[in-house]
Amino acid sequence: MRRLKVLYEWFDRRLQLGEPIKEMALHPVPNKTASWWYVFGSAAFVLLMLQIVTGILLALVYVPSAGQAWNSLNVLNHQLTLGWFLRAMHGWGSNFMVAVVLIHMAQVFLFGAYKFPRELTWVLGVFLLLMTLGMAFTGQVLRFDQDAYWGLGIGASIASRVPFVGNWAVHMMLGGPIIAGATLSRFFAFHVFVIPGMLLAFACLHVWMVLKLGINEWPMPGRIVRRATYAAEYHKLTKKDGRAFVPGAVWKDAFFSAAILAAVAVCAAVLGPYGPGGRPDPTIIQTAPKPDFFFLWLYAVLSYLPPSLETPFLLIAPALGIAGLVALPFCAGEGEKSWHRRPVAILMLTSIALAWSVLTHLGTFTPWSPKMTAWSGGSPVPVRYTHDASPLQRQGAIVFQSKQCRNCHSIAGVGGQRGPALDLVASRMTEDQLIRQVLQGGGNMPAYGKNLSPSEVTALVSFLETLHPANEPPAADASRNAAAVLVTPAHQ
Amino acid sequence: MRGCAFTGGLVLLSLALFVTCMGCHGRIGEPNDQDELMRPEEVISFDRLYQQNCSACHGENGSGGPALDLSNPTYQALVDDASLKRWITSGMPGTQMPAFGESAGGFLTEQQIDALVAGMRARWMFKKSAGVAMPSYLATIVGNAGHGEAIFQASCVSCHRQDKQKITNTSYLALVSDQSLRTIVIAGRPDLGQPDWEHVRPGQPLADQDVSDIVAYLHSLRSDTPGQPYPDESAKR
Ligand code: HEC
Ligand code: HEC
Ligand code: HEC
Repeated sequence: MRRLKVLYEWFDRRLQLGEPIKEMALHPVPNKTASWWYVFGSAAFVLLMLQIVTGILLALVYVPSAGQAWNSLNVLNHQLTLGWFLRAMHGWGSNFMVAVVLIHMAQVFLFGAYKFPRELTWVLGVFLLLMTLGMAFTGQVLRFDQDAYWGLGIGASIASRVPFVGNWAVHMMLGGPIIAGATLSRFFAFHVFVIPGMLLAFACLHVWMVLKLGINEWPMPGRIVRRATYAAEYHKLTKKDGRAFVPGAVWKDAFFSAAILAAVAVCAAVLGPYGPGGRPDPTIIQTAPKPDFFFLWLYAVLSYLPPSLETPFLLIAPALGIAGLVALPFCAGEGEKSWHRRPVAILMLTSIALAWSVLTHLGTFTPWSPKMTAWSGGSPVPVRYTHDASPLQRQGAIVFQSKQCRNCHSIAGVGGQRGPALDLVASRMTEDQLIRQVLQGGGNMPAYGKNLSPSEVTALVSFLETLHPANEPPAADASRNAAAVLVTPAHQ
Repeated sequence: MRGCAFTGGLVLLSLALFVTCMGCHGRIGEPNDQDELMRPEEVISFDRLYQQNCSACHGENGSGGPALDLSNPTYQALVDDASLKRWITSGMPGTQMPAFGESAGGFLTEQQIDALVAGMRARWMFKKSAGVAMPSYLATIVGNAGHGEAIFQASCVSCHRQDKQKITNTSYLALVSDQSLRTIVIAGRPDLGQPDWEHVRPGQPLADQDVSDIVAYLHSLRSDTPGQPYPDESAKR
């Protein structure tokens, strides 16, 4: 014990770190702030450490060359003991990190913690978010599978739309005019050296400021932030009603970080690593590339925007968003912190969260793009529609497949979602309406008139006519029944 | 207190996630993705090929779909490899069976089509004790429509009289070929209840000639202008 103490003193004499660390550990935090709401920042930092450790281990095996990258990931997945788990930890760690950083940011916004004197902490936080997203994107590219390949293609086409410098930007991004070996080297350098270096430096600075300025106090309605008096008020608060960070508050951070790491490990073990998907080969066209989870919302937005608005949106919206985030603490640096008195802030946060989840949800099942394999693969039309049907109706069910209606229309949950599900179509459309819809199309549906023979139309419509609940008759045209009654006596 | 509830919830949540995902993933370990990693034209697993290209029409396990039940052992005993290969490669003329072979504009290579044929044989072909000689798969004799009509009236109408089962509907006949009719008359469709050649006429299996005659009769009912709108109107009036 004594030996250790001597050793410690020898080092501390020279390093001089003991005092500042002690000061940091014992700095007072307001009692109410030692709350479960304040654990996300530290969890994000712990996740960053996890990413650095797993990333270094991955880099020992990964080969950043266009010909080898994909193979080296498969070696990790299949040939090295627990290699798949390492990849899974890194992949899920990335997901969790983006999520935790976003939650952290929402919490800081909600608690007004960006106000004086913590403006710069917030601005650094915004850059940390951007860098985290940058890591997620470059990491997805390093996977160098089909999704990565097409994701890059889309990224490049976004960059190329920047006026004047577009082509130059693409060249910079891809390391040449096309996606090739140089592209991967470039992304590797960014993912492994440039962004993590900045991320780590910024994160340390961010934490330093949090410790120096003191953690944000629990917002109380009516407790107004003023530049002139804030520092003194905060000091008084921590004196009167505070406790030392260690051990008063730190155990919650530690517990939560451990729980998050455990959650990452569980997801990694159970859900496995991300890809790599198919080979990055542009000659394989039977593919539907999709971005990773956190870019799905963007994918959804771009799919819904009319083409003429895409370029302005892509160029202006991110710039506006970032400028807004950076400007926030300077525009609203004083005043109320409590969410009870900030209805606009609440409204903004909920609408952004809502829009984001809806768009992400849409992005996961891409209702706008037809399912190109539904016509031949997957489950057939359920037996209940075909077993007791007439031979003609059964042929209609085949027309429905062979003319690829199912790529856009689902029946029994199977099929595309470009057009409405047709399970109950006969109860809302009459025979004539069905014929018209098939022949002339309309909305976003192609007109099939010239591509169907009369017997195919007859079969198809007689099949569609069966798509109604057993206890509910199909929709019928009242005037046709009346006409039939009128005609009948004349023929007898 | 609130803190305990929060962490408790978190633990429960991850546990729930764990349990539900165990269900869908099945096991913990290295990913089982060999098939997905292959180039699409290298896949030769029958299950995967069938599931991607055939199941929506022919049924998930080769029966119960709207098109012919390929898993019918009588059908597998009837048909020869060359015909199977030909239909899959170039489609079946006169029916809606599409062409899948690369030579005909599809996506399947010759090896993949061989894998499909071999897979069907391995899975669905049973050697049955050869009782009565089965009619040949391809027609070899010219049929006699008049005689066919007589058999049809005697043996088929009992089941196919009702409106619902009308195989004489001209739109239906325009969408099937003589060969696909012949296949169904011989092999039946056990998944739908259509009896095969041996059982359709009690105690008297159909001969090769009878099958050709029935198909010739159905052929004679084809119309030059099938599929006029409101086909059921004439019946109503
Ligand atoms: C490219 C995708 C696409 C394909 C392929 C397609 N449809 Fe559609 N379909 C749509 C869309 C989109 C609508 C909605 C049109 C609208 O809003 O007016 C629609 C509407 C319909 C409707 C009306 C449904 C309703 O509830 O209003 C029917 C019936 C229909 N389609 C049948 C078919 C049939 C039969 C085929 C095959 C011959 C087919 N569709 C092929 C996209 C498609
Ligand atoms: C779009 C629907 C569709 C798809 C997809 C499809 N088929 Fe067919 N197939 C048909 C139809 C329709 C027939 C004609 C027989 C009938 O009327 O049922 C047929 C006939 C056949 C026949 C010949 C039956 C006979 O009379 O001897 C074979 C063999 C066959 N299909 C195999 C396949 C295989 C293997 C696949 C997948 C690669 C496939 N089909 C995919 C619709 C389809
Ligand atoms: C025991 C009753 C029964 C008899 C006898 C019978 N069938 Fe059928 N047949 C069915 C049933 C049930 C189906 C399937 C349901 C449907 O299509 O109506 C069917 C279907 C068919 C189909 C296929 C329809 C499709 O969906 O492609 C053809 C062709 C056919 N029968 C022809 C014949 C011929 C020819 C005969 C006489 C040699 C015959 N059937 C005798 C019951 C019978």
